Amino acid sequence: MNTSLNIREKRFIAVAAAIALVFGFTPVASAMHIMEGYLPVGFSVAWGVICIPFLIAGYMAIKKNLKENPKTITLLAMAGAYVFVLSSLKIPSVTGSCSHMTGTGLGAILFGPAPMSILGVIVLLFQAILLAHGGLTTLGANTFSMAIAGPFMTYGIFILCKKIKINRHVGVFLAAAIGDLFTYCITAFQLALAYPSESGGVAASVVKFLAVFAPTQVPLAIIEGILTVVIIIGLETYAQPELNDLGYLTGGVK
Amino acid sequence: MENSVGKSINFIKTSEKAQHQATYHHKIGHKHGEGSAIDYYAYASKIRHWNPGFKVAFSFTTLLLCIGLNNPFVSIAVILGMAFLTVVKGGLPLSAYLSVLLIPLTFILLGTIAIGVDFSRQPLGQFNLYLGLGYIFTSVDKLQEMAVLMLKVFGAISAMIMMTLSTPSAEIIGVLRKAHVPKLVIELMNLIYRYIFILLDVFNNMRNSADSRQGYCDFKTSCTTFGSVASNLLVVSLKKSNAYYTAMEARGYDGDLVFLEEEKPFQISHLFIAAGFLFFLLLLWYVTK
Repeated sequence: MNTSLNIREKRFIAVAAAIALVFGFTPVASAMHIMEGYLPVGFSVAWGVICIPFLIAGYMAIKKNLKENPKTITLLAMAGAYVFVLSSLKIPSVTGSCSHMTGTGLGAILFGPAPMSILGVIVLLFQAILLAHGGLTTLGANTFSMAIAGPFMTYGIFILCKKIKINRHVGVFLAAAIGDLFTYCITAFQLALAYPSESGGVAASVVKFLAVFAPTQVPLAIIEGILTVVIIIGLETYAQPELNDLGYLTGGVK
Repeated sequence: MENSVGKSINFIKTSEKAQHQATYHHKIGHKHGEGSAIDYYAYASKIRHWNPGFKVAFSFTTLLLCIGLNNPFVSIAVILGMAFLTVVKGGLPLSAYLSVLLIPLTFILLGTIAIGVDFSRQPLGQFNLYLGLGYIFTSVDKLQEMAVLMLKVFGAISAMIMMTLSTPSAEIIGVLRKAHVPKLVIELMNLIYRYIFILLDVFNNMRNSADSRQGYCDFKTSCTTFGSVASNLLVVSLKKSNAYYTAMEARGYDGDLVFLEEEKPFQISHLFIAAGFLFFLLLLWYVTK
């Protein structure tokens, strides 16, 4: 596939890789799932309840899609499996520790944010069951940060960049990276709400959690952005018809 | 991939593979032990024939008690009880159990440090560390809270992985179906579960062929290869989804996906033992409160 990238794209990847190298020490870091047992029962329930309207919206969107085109069922399932596999792959890292993509950002760009909420909750459940990442009681909180907030942010920025006619690939990079950072901020906020600091309350606690996770999450977000762009370039080169196919999932926004 | 020599091409053995990855893959790719390992252990577990509904309910209740009671003694009892179930009853090697239990370790360490230490302009705690701008401080109470939290988290994780290491995903989905999760979600889950392994297989082949062409020789190339493989994977998965739909239709699919579920009888004795264990946890909490 190397040959398919033109010089400008190659240069972009080189520059991006250089940036990643500068920032690039990534200790072991999964996409910041809150682990089982971390949240008190009250918070677990509360975050679950907050997710419900989004999940219902996603459910309705999928249902409507299926009614119009029953073929969507295998496509949606493949999309879910793809996001899972993507998030379980180790991505290149400089120090050789193990880190993973969120995958939901790319999912939101390709499939739209509404179906991502339902697919996201299923993927998160499988991540808990098959990979021991995340948990059952923290499913609500993780769903909110990774399957709702992150994808909606990514999608919003992607559309915004399209509107103001920024270069498409820069837009994809920004959308994926900022979506990832947003997920990380939401997670820090969720942890801080559950464990406020004694001296400075929730606000100080947010700063603490942001600071502790920043060394792993900031480089990860940048790498995720780069990889998303590389994936999109690959798709644009080889899979134009498939991308058009996906168009009907997202209502015409490719 | 069966090889009688069994040395160079062995896709199950994790350690060799990890070593190979460490040397040649620039640390990229799927550690084959991880994703399918838990699934494999679940099928191999000796308590797999237990009623899945019982296992899910028991593990979830224990989990809730462990979190809700928030008591270090209860946490320790849960850790020991679940380890007994998984390792002794389930016949899982202890080393495998520990490696699964330690997957979330980084998060736990980082997260607990953030909870345990605090910062301020004034030295407020028992132990203060001056860092130019202000103090990072902590106290014995805080450290104790950290220890309690870690015990609680490990208790909760061991309760959850007791279920996942003894109940294959298909059975967990079956339990969710009986719990009246919408049909559409259940169908999607069943399909996604199957597709995950198909895609992992495709990915492994692509990764190997890229690897044999020096696709992971340095960081930059690794990034490009990863992106290419991932985008190719999407193309392949979309093609496959079309083929699978055709296959389903050819077998009479008309909007309902029905999966075969093994009936596993419920043993009353398990219920008594489980109730006894939960009661013991409550008693322990009451006594040490």
